[in-house]
Amino acid sequence: MTIEAEYAIEVEKLTKRYGDLLAVNDISFNVRKGEVFALLGPNGAGKTTTVEIIDTIRTPTSGKVRLLGMDVTKKKHDIVPRIGVLPQGFSSFDRITVRSTMQYYSRLFCCIDPDIDGLIELVNLKDKAEVQYKNLSGGLRQRLGIAIALVNDPEVVFLDEPTTGLDPRARREVWEVLLGLKKKGKTVFLTTHYMEEAELLADTVAIVSKGKIIATGSPVELIESNSNYLIVTLQSVDEKTLAVVRKMGFEPVSDPHENIRVRVEGTDDVRKILNGVEDAGASFLSLDVRKPNLEEVFLKLTGEALHEGPTGGMGAK
Amino acid sequence: MNLRVIGANLVVSIKSFYREKTAMFFTFAFPIILILVFGTIFKDQENISFNLYVQDLDHTETSAEIAKTLGSTGKFKITQVNPAVDATQYARNHRLNLVLIIPQGYERSYIQNLQYDDPNAFVTITYIYDPSSASVNTKMEILNAVFAKLNQGLTGKPPFIRTAVTSILTRKYRFIEFFIPGIIAMAVMTASLAGTVNVNTELRQKGIIRKLSTTPITRTDWILSNIVYQFILAVISTAAMLLVSYAVFKVNLEINAWLPLFILLDVFAFVGIGMILTRFVQEAQSAAAAANAIMFPMMFLSGSFFPIEMMPSFLQTFARVLPLYYVNEGLRASMVSADNLAALEYSGVIGAFATVVFILGIMATKWEED
Ligand SMILES: Nc1ncnc2c1ncn2[C@@H]1O[C@H](COP(=O)(O)OP(=O)(O)O)[C@@H](O)[C@H]1O
Ligand SMILES: [Mg+2]
Repeated sequence: MTIEAEYAIEVEKLTKRYGDLLAVNDISFNVRKGEVFALLGPNGAGKTTTVEIIDTIRTPTSGKVRLLGMDVTKKKHDIVPRIGVLPQGFSSFDRITVRSTMQYYSRLFCCIDPDIDGLIELVNLKDKAEVQYKNLSGGLRQRLGIAIALVNDPEVVFLDEPTTGLDPRARREVWEVLLGLKKKGKTVFLTTHYMEEAELLADTVAIVSKGKIIATGSPVELIESNSNYLIVTLQSVDEKTLAVVRKMGFEPVSDPHENIRVRVEGTDDVRKILNGVEDAGASFLSLDVRKPNLEEVFLKLTGEALHEGPTGGMGAK
Repeated sequence: MNLRVIGANLVVSIKSFYREKTAMFFTFAFPIILILVFGTIFKDQENISFNLYVQDLDHTETSAEIAKTLGSTGKFKITQVNPAVDATQYARNHRLNLVLIIPQGYERSYIQNLQYDDPNAFVTITYIYDPSSASVNTKMEILNAVFAKLNQGLTGKPPFIRTAVTSILTRKYRFIEFFIPGIIAMAVMTASLAGTVNVNTELRQKGIIRKLSTTPITRTDWILSNIVYQFILAVISTAAMLLVSYAVFKVNLEINAWLPLFILLDVFAFVGIGMILTRFVQEAQSAAAAANAIMFPMMFLSGSFFPIEMMPSFLQTFARVLPLYYVNEGLRASMVSADNLAALEYSGVIGAFATVVFILGIMATKWEED
């Protein structure tokens, strides 16, 4: 197989500057055909800049980007009919219904015969087909945006933060749509700052921070290769416990629920903590030992959190 | 040019417009209201008739003849003032700008003049007037003309210098007929420019332009879509303005192929300017302000509402560089004076301007971001 046939996207030494700001700093990666590739990183990491350079909305400062074997800066005309894009913060014509909006976008493409009803069904908008855009909730709008990105039956689909700003339920509903898309074998380029989203949907995750890719791999690989430690959580502890744990040389990491959470190297350490707490006569309600999730991997790799607050991507299984 | 794409854009634009009531009002109702308001104001001035107060101190049959003659010109509605009152005080009290006084002994002097050819027999008719009044000069001019004619009738000699007037128009036209082409040109300009700027800045702010840049639509098709859409609105709104003008003011205007041509050129020019503005003014509000900054001087200085001859000469020179001037004059040439040659000249100027602006508009339109 030639490289063109294997990769849908090839990015080589891509750099983007906005004046003095280095938004994307010399990154390289490839996306295989048929895979779901996620760019995972916090706000301002350079995700949108990267994806919009690849899907021809912006132009790079330097570097090479090939999409379906074509240079994105030279072949926009040939590329555009073969991709579908859900831009960040997608929005549409307020007073136009779901179905009319779909028809509108399909007419912008030449020589296609889209199954609009099928697409509307795919994104679960059948009941809302005659509702005007301005009357749709955030989740429904994003699903319409995804359906629009599919009108031309694209070979590569770009979804820039498809679930940002949605409540957990609406987010899950979008994920279901995206899982359906994944099943169809489309190449999907996704950006997100929700670790669960990347973990659930992506075959390959690239972790970005400050314009750099700092790790790439499948979610499992990323966790395996960065988790030579375990996370121990003691819930509903009394004050004594904290002192005991500290005395044994374990420094608790931040925990939103005021539990004690420590990184330990192996199961020996777990036993040590248990014994220490018992000997001191301290108490706790429950104990949880697990491998770190992507969020914690991210924290370890970058020293920065994916989210500012305690909400968000915590608690993956 | 891709008709399928332009058609798709039209469907969306028209549906959005139809569902947006304020846009409907400003595009259709507003110009009609302007025509109704100005048409009504100036309608009365056309068959103008002044109030004239006459104090006849002579109170004879001959002196009464004067008031009758003045009344028969059709220019005056005569009101008699009681000879017993002080005319100056009377004018002040009643806020009159002119009272005409026929002196006592008028009949006597008249007969003397007529029968004995006595050059010393003359009468003085006094105008008591308010110089601060705007219309009083016109009134006095008309009166002077009437008295000159009477004098000439008395001497019996026909005048040596006579004047003849030939209008350069094939027929006499009324103010409203001058006004309507100007309002059409202006309404099409404002709808095209403001509409284009509003729609495009809004779409850009909502990120729809960014989304469109990932579809095969071209910038040329996008601008053409804007133009066709604005042209359709302009045709409907012009038809509505003309219908009202015919129904209410019974205007007499030439409607021919020049009308849609000038409307099209008007649309081309101002949609093009709108596209350029949208590119360079990022904020929706400042874009609207910039559109106003272009529209208002254009409206008032290009002769939409009144002939530019009424302006000082440097402003007239300025008017001639305003594109709307050529639409105004072109429409008047075709609709009022039926002067095809003039219409052709004006259409040439605005056509060249529209072409340049259209091309600049395409170049200025930017889908990609930096
Ligand atoms: N058009 C732009 N002009 C200037 N700076 C920008 C522009 N777009 C993004 N940036 C900056 O570049 C950095 C990366 O932004 P972005 O690519 O949007 O990140 P992300 O999508 O990961 O949140 C941020 O610091 C952002 O402020
Ligand atoms: Mg982003």
